[in-house]
Formats: sequence, C-alpha cells, structure tokens
Amino acid sequence: MSRPKEMTRAVIVGHKSILKETIDALHDTNLFHVEDFVEDESGFKISKPFKNAEEVSKKLVKIRSIANYLGIESKKPVVQKSDAVLRELDSKLNELDRTISTKTESISQLENELKDMESQKREILPYLSIDLDFDYYRGYESLKVFAGTLKSNLEASQISSITQAYELYFDPQSKAVVLFVAKNDADKVYELLQGLGFKELRVPERGGVPSELLRSIEQREADVTRRIESLKGEIESLKTRYADFILASDEVLSIESQKAELPLRIATSENAFIIDGWTPTEDYDKLVSVVNNATNGKAYITSLEVHHEEEENVPVEYNNSKVVAPLQQVMDLYSRPKYFEIDPSSAIFITFPLIYGMILGDIGYALILGTIALAIKKAMKSDAVSDLMNILIYCQIWSIIFGIIYGEFLGFSLASAHTAHGITAGLIPGWETITLFESIGGEEFTFPIHRSHMVMTMIGLSVFVGLIHLNLGFLFGFSNIARHHGMKHAILEKGSWMIIELGVLLAAVGYFGGSALMYVGAIVLVLGVAMLAMGEGIAGVVELPSLMGNALSYARIIAVGLSSIYIAGTVNDIVFGMIWTDHSKIGFTAIAAIIVFILGHGLNTILSIIAPGLHALRLQYVEFFGKFYQGGGRKFNPFGYIRKYTEE
Amino acid sequence: MVDGATAGLFLDAAGMKALGAAIAIAITGYASAIAEKDIGTAAIGAMAENEGLFGKGLILTVIPETIVIFGLVVALLINQ
Repeated sequence: MSRPKEMTRAVIVGHKSILKETIDALHDTNLFHVEDFVEDESGFKISKPFKNAEEVSKKLVKIRSIANYLGIESKKPVVQKSDAVLRELDSKLNELDRTISTKTESISQLENELKDMESQKREILPYLSIDLDFDYYRGYESLKVFAGTLKSNLEASQISSITQAYELYFDPQSKAVVLFVAKNDADKVYELLQGLGFKELRVPERGGVPSELLRSIEQREADVTRRIESLKGEIESLKTRYADFILASDEVLSIESQKAELPLRIATSENAFIIDGWTPTEDYDKLVSVVNNATNGKAYITSLEVHHEEEENVPVEYNNSKVVAPLQQVMDLYSRPKYFEIDPSSAIFITFPLIYGMILGDIGYALILGTIALAIKKAMKSDAVSDLMNILIYCQIWSIIFGIIYGEFLGFSLASAHTAHGITAGLIPGWETITLFESIGGEEFTFPIHRSHMVMTMIGLSVFVGLIHLNLGFLFGFSNIARHHGMKHAILEKGSWMIIELGVLLAAVGYFGGSALMYVGAIVLVLGVAMLAMGEGIAGVVELPSLMGNALSYARIIAVGLSSIYIAGTVNDIVFGMIWTDHSKIGFTAIAAIIVFILGHGLNTILSIIAPGLHALRLQYVEFFGKFYQGGGRKFNPFGYIRKYTEE
Repeated sequence: MVDGATAGLFLDAAGMKALGAAIAIAITGYASAIAEKDIGTAAIGAMAENEGLFGKGLILTVIPETIVIFGLVVALLINQ
C-alpha cells in the first residue's frame, strides 16, 4: 500500500544580492513548496516585492481583460520562446490595446447613431401616409397647424361647419391628422378635435417628405449596421491573429508576477534572506545542485529533521503509478491523506470499480458507457476530464466481467433461466444455466447468476464482500496506528474489531452446528469487546452496532443492481408488447417501439452512471474510510509553473 | 400460498406479505428522504461557502440511506 511521497524540509539562506537568482532557479525546478513566513519576534521581516511587480501585474490585468473581451479560450498550444514574447510584449500589447479601444469606440458611436435613427423613424412613421413636406408645417403667422392622431374618424363636414378656411389631411387607417385652420377658428376646432380624442404629435424638425425621409434613414441604418458588422469581424480576426500571443504573454507575465511576489512570503533581514519549505526527498539533491549552480555556491541549503508532531503539516504529494493516478481525483474529492497516513488510492483502484461493476453488471450498458468514455477522453484534452473518464473506463471493465457472471445484456438474460414457471430462453441460444449448489433461503446457486431469482444469496454475497472491504479498512487503520502510536494501540483499537468479528463468526457457526464452538465464540467476543473498551473507551463499545449497520449497508449492491435490472426489463417488456400487437407489418407501433427502446435504455444508461457510481463511492467514503481514514492533508504546491505556451 | 387457515382479516397470506413488504419499503424510504432533505440542504449551503466540502457533504447526505437499505432487507425477508 502506498504512502505519500517522503518529504524533506529544506532551508535556503543567502545574501539578498543572490535572491533573484535563487528565486529564478527555484521557480524553474518546480520542486519546492514554499512555507509562508509569518512575522514573529525573531526580527526577520517579510520583504518587498521586486521592482517590476507592479508593472507586471498591471500588464497582466490588461492582457487578461483583453483576453476576456475577445473571449480567448485555451487551445492547442503553439510553443513560443519566452524571451521573444517578453521582448515583443510591450509594443504588441500597446498596439493591441489601441486597436481594440479605437474599434470599440467607433462601434459604440455607430450604435448610438443607430439608436438616434431609430427614434427619428418613430417620429416620422405616423405621418407616412400624409404626403406633405415637413417644412410646410411651420412658419405661419395667421395659420394654426394641428398635427397628431385621433381616436375616431373625422369628416370634412365637421370642420366646414365651423369654418371654410381650412386644409385637412386625414388618413382613416392610421387616424393621423394634419389640419391647417385660421388662427381665429383655432379654439373651436381644437374643441372639436378634443372631442374626437386628439393627441398632438411632435413634428420632426427636419424638412422633407415623410416617405422619402424614411427611405433615406433606412438606407443609412443598413449602412451603419454593415459598418458595425465589419468592425466586429475585424475584432474577431484580431482574436485569431493574437490568440497565441495573448496566451503566451499571459503565461510569461504570470510567471514573472509569481517570481516578483515571492519576497512577500519569505523571511528577510537587512542583508539576508531565508526561504523555508518542502521538497520530495528524492529530489532534494537535484534542488541543491540547481540552486548552487545558479548562485555559484553562494546560497546555503540544508535539510532539517522533521519532528513527529510536525508531520501534521507536511504537504502531501501522491506517490502512485500512472494507472492508479486517476483515483487521486476520488481521494481529493473527499480529502487528501495526511502525510503519515496510508494513501488508499491503490485500494480504491480495485474496490471502487469492483463494487460499481457488481452493482451494474450488464455487458450492454458497460459497452455503451465505455465507448462514450473513450470518445470523451479522445475529444477533450483536459487532464481532469481524462482522469474521470479513466475511472469510468475502469468501472466498465468490471461491469463487463460481472455482466458475464450475471449473463446480462441491456436487461435481457443471455442464458436460459429455469424457474418454477418453466424455462425461459436466453438471448444466446444454447447457453444453459447450470445449477452449481443449494444456496441459502432455498435458492439455487447457478451460473450465470440470475440476480432477480436469487436475491437472498446475493444479499449474503454482498454483505460478505462488504465484510472483506471493512476488514481491509481495519487493516489499514491497524497499520496507521501501529506506525504512529505503536503496536499496542493498534491491537486494542483496530485489532479488537477483527477479534469481535471472529467471535461472532465462531458463535454463529457453533450455534447453527450445535457444537461447543458457540461458547468459544462468545468468550472471544467478550474478549474483543473488552479490548475495544480499553482501546477506545466507552465510545468504542457504543459504536459496536455500527459494525452490523456497515455490513448490511453493502446490501445496496444487490438492491441498486436490481432496480437497474427492473427498469431495463420494463423497457424491454413494453417494447416487445408493442411489437407483438402489430407483428404482421412494420408500421407506426414498430417505429414507436424502437423510439421507446432507445429512450428507455438511454435513460437507464444515464442512471447507470449516477446510481452505481454514487453508491459505490459512498461505500468507499462512509464504510471503508470510516475504519481508518483521517484526511485533511495539505496539498504539495511547488513554487513554479507548468508551461504550456512558452519555453525558456 | 393461499390457505384458509393462514388467511388474514382482509387479504390472504400472500397479500398481507406483499403489503407488509410495501410498508417496510415505503416508510423507510420516506424516513430516509426526510433525513436526507435536511442534511442535503445544509450541505449545499456549506458548499456554497466552500466548494471543497463536496466530498464531505455527499457522505453526510447519504448516511441516512442505510435506513431504506434496512427496509429493503426486511421487505425481502418478509417475502422469503
């Protein structure tokens, strides 16, 4: 069983004149986890950031806001030389900034113009049907002009009853009205108009015939829209042209900013600095030689002994093979192990996919999910996604193995089943179910295992698997405590549980066999409980029933599995029912049946990730980890950067 | 299965068994749901503060699920 990587505490001391070289060297190795210095009475103070820090972060903010505006996403890297990027950075950044700001400014100007024209259009629209130049609406001494809309129709006779000196334009459709009358009659006419629901409208200030005005505005509108589009297209082309530059300079600037700000995290005096931190023991020599090379041996590096009580705070780096590494995601989701603990990644590398497979156990779903996982892994380059997909693939491998043991394919039974109601044929002709032996509860143990026909046997088996899993947890706990607190504590705290289990087992065998073994078992049980009480006190004894609860909890393996079978079986029954009602011809029901089949199994495929996944995960986290795992370790976070877009 | 001597008040023995199993599952399922509702709400609240608590929140949320597993075991035993 692997433990986290062994760490060495290293301290680097030197004169401030070599601080920059030391920091550069440390950053390049990416092996040193810097402990932040907290000011105390020792007289050391944290230092100030390097001179370029402010400038670098300003540029970084600028480049990130540009990247954000352009919507630049990380992509397949084009590696550039970092000093070349740095050299061009200022001029390119300024140029980019200038072009983008002029373009966005003109875009916003044009957009304002568009809004203006929109409101002009709205003013003109009511007058559209009245073919009269707007210049004729104003500038009279003895004439009053009413321009607006009415609620009801206006007849010329209504005006002529008041006065003969008028000129009326009225559009019965839009109810727009323009009326010229002599000023003397204006009051009376106004009363009449008000009775008809007159609402005055503003007359546009520009002269011209409405329909022509509208046409010219629409033309200009189209023109402006085209110009905005072309500007946006230019910005889009900036994005493709500068994407590599932006990604690379973001990286270079991030590195510079990390280096420039490190002095804030270390102890310095007037003339000297101390950098305190951790490095994997296997890399210590490399670190020493790198720092010595960079500073011509002027920096002093030494390793400190790690005290027992300090182990709590040692940063933790996993130490697993590439195959097991994806499971570290599952560990991190819960909590990283402490430095002195067993790292159970390699244990859950077996148990998590195994329990998942035991629950799902269907060749069909396993093939579908495995293919999807492979495809996603191919399509997405991200490490986190590929780890998740690897876990899913491990799970599907076990699902196929158990699918063969259960003889299941998309809820169909592959082998023929012998039940009280006769023989049901399987999907593969000629694969007969073989009865191996009598099992518990009057069931027969067969191959392949028909889960829905041997529920009691499967509950027993699930709990048995659970007990093995739990005892593995006790063994890990035993090892952890033995290492940390000594053998005696380990036997009392974790060994006692196993002795209790042994006692129960002996007593049960004795009880059913009717032999004196029962009393031996009882004595062993009492001994175990006494040891537990010594080891963990009364709290341990109170916890005793949880052992039964934990073991029975594994019954979910068959329970969740059965629910998946029943969903699949129901879909299959519905589909076959539909096809059989209409088997003479391929018609609507046959097509509907296919749709139901695809939708039903699609739903069950999604459920096949969630239900077995969550339950298998819970069995690891609650039942298994509960027996030994503490967690809460600090992540080993080396000072450095993993370059993607640049190189030295 | 149907036997005059073992017939219950309203149902025959098989019916009573099925009803018993149904009650065992239904009530334990409901109990799990109530317990998980409260824990889940709190877990989501905690996760909103700190996303790293997802693992712990998940575990705490699914702990009461054992209740319904017991119900299931009882239901299966009744139907034995």
